[in-house]
Amino acid sequence: MIKKLLIANRGEIVPRVMRACQNFGIKTVAVYSDADKGMYYLKQADEAINIGPANPIKSYLNIEAIIDALKKSGADAVHPGYGFLSENAAFAEAVSASGAVWAGPPPGVLKAIDSKCYCRKIAADAGVPVVPGTVKTISDLDEIYKFTNQYGYPIVLKLDKGGGGKGIELVEDDDQVIGAFERLSRIGLLAFGHPECYIEKLIANPRHVEVQFVADSFGNCVCLGERECSIQRRYQKIIEESPSPVVRDQDRSALYDYTRKLSLAMGYEGAGTMEFLRSEDGAFYFMEVNARLQVEHPVTEFLTGVDIVKKQLTIASGIKLDISQEQVELKGHAIEARVYAEDPLSFTPSPGTINKLVFPKIDNSILRIDHAIEEGGSVPPYYDPLLAKVIAWGNDRLEAIRHLRNALIHFQIDGIKTTIPANLLILGSEKFADGNLSTGFIEELYAEVRENSLRPLWPCM
Amino acid sequence: MEVTVKAHMPGLVARVVVNEGDKVTAGQEVAVINCMKTEIHVFVESDGVVKEILVKEWDEIEIGSPMIVLEA
Repeated sequence: MIKKLLIANRGEIVPRVMRACQNFGIKTVAVYSDADKGMYYLKQADEAINIGPANPIKSYLNIEAIIDALKKSGADAVHPGYGFLSENAAFAEAVSASGAVWAGPPPGVLKAIDSKCYCRKIAADAGVPVVPGTVKTISDLDEIYKFTNQYGYPIVLKLDKGGGGKGIELVEDDDQVIGAFERLSRIGLLAFGHPECYIEKLIANPRHVEVQFVADSFGNCVCLGERECSIQRRYQKIIEESPSPVVRDQDRSALYDYTRKLSLAMGYEGAGTMEFLRSEDGAFYFMEVNARLQVEHPVTEFLTGVDIVKKQLTIASGIKLDISQEQVELKGHAIEARVYAEDPLSFTPSPGTINKLVFPKIDNSILRIDHAIEEGGSVPPYYDPLLAKVIAWGNDRLEAIRHLRNALIHFQIDGIKTTIPANLLILGSEKFADGNLSTGFIEELYAEVRENSLRPLWPCM
Repeated sequence: MEVTVKAHMPGLVARVVVNEGDKVTAGQEVAVINCMKTEIHVFVESDGVVKEILVKEWDEIEIGSPMIVLEA
């Protein structure tokens, strides 16, 4: 078993991973940039090592600096967290080369998922339905016209190596092709160093459903239910829940089957997520693999009682999974709201200092808050705006929503703007209560609010 | 008259989209700030010529940090 773990990340995921370590008596090493030296969790780690300036390129994305910290600390394993270098094959290889255990999927998997197109091919070859489109990248406009002549518009052009909600262009007719293709190539080159893109038919009003799974090095793959993550702003999730209101038992069996096939075909080890789109006619299509622990993993943990981070640590230590698919029980309903440091109406960033912080009362059986904030603490402008995740459980969906709303109403963060009012607006809408979700939900809801000239009434805080 | 374009958001300089000597018109985008992974566009408020660029990609900036000097 791992003895000392370096967590190569920042923010709320650091104390989360540290909690799992406590259970096993694993010592922890946290790393931090100059901008994060005041983070509360650094005091809770057994060791904290500075890895460079605020600029993430020079700290959290700096493989050399983190490997130096790893050697200095004598840690025998690395947890990559999410974002930053978590899906970087070169980093995984550097960790292994230094003799430490990589508590993430094998570098081969990370190389494969680097190309969305290649993953589409693996899926199609494994008999998993993919969104209609190309399984090869396109090199010129003619290929786009050829595709649309045959299958029609609208289509979505996607960067093969995009991510984080960047590198997606909707194209509705011939006139838009050139502009979209050029924009995408430019963004691809600028943001990711890769301009290649591919075509997908647009799935109108899709729902985003993903399957959480854990796979060990003995060929066991266990699925832990699905999560619905349709509520997004700028293609970034804001509310997630499980089970999905639209996934029936037979859908779940099919999704589990797809997930196992893909995991096996890829040689997957560790915790991961298979993302699917559900079209309005109820068909599911594989979209992409998230080869990391996901932000919204607590939703699944509440529902199944399985600690996913602990599973990552045992799998990385070469220990066989101690649960079978039959033992996985999905109990009740869990829902998570992400609290971002953003203006709740425009979703523009709002870094700064937290002057006052009051957490809601926490009953562990129905509420969990994962966070990296404290009163007087600063929220730097250099990183992701995620401040906290509030996760609630209920016997059924409406009860879970009620518990979540109640928690958010009593969650007070002053000094910066947060998305708490946006979360409350969404959770309080009739459409949400009805489970009538889509990735365009927020836009439609906000348009409605504006149209009715209603000033949303935030609860007094 | 010299006009200094200042950052209205903190973060990192994502890119500067003009060069020294360029003619700019009011409302034109001159730089992009990466604040919490969101791109924030910086526009000039008056016509002029770019006299000096004070920042480069990946510089850390605060609200009010001078970015570009214009000869208006």
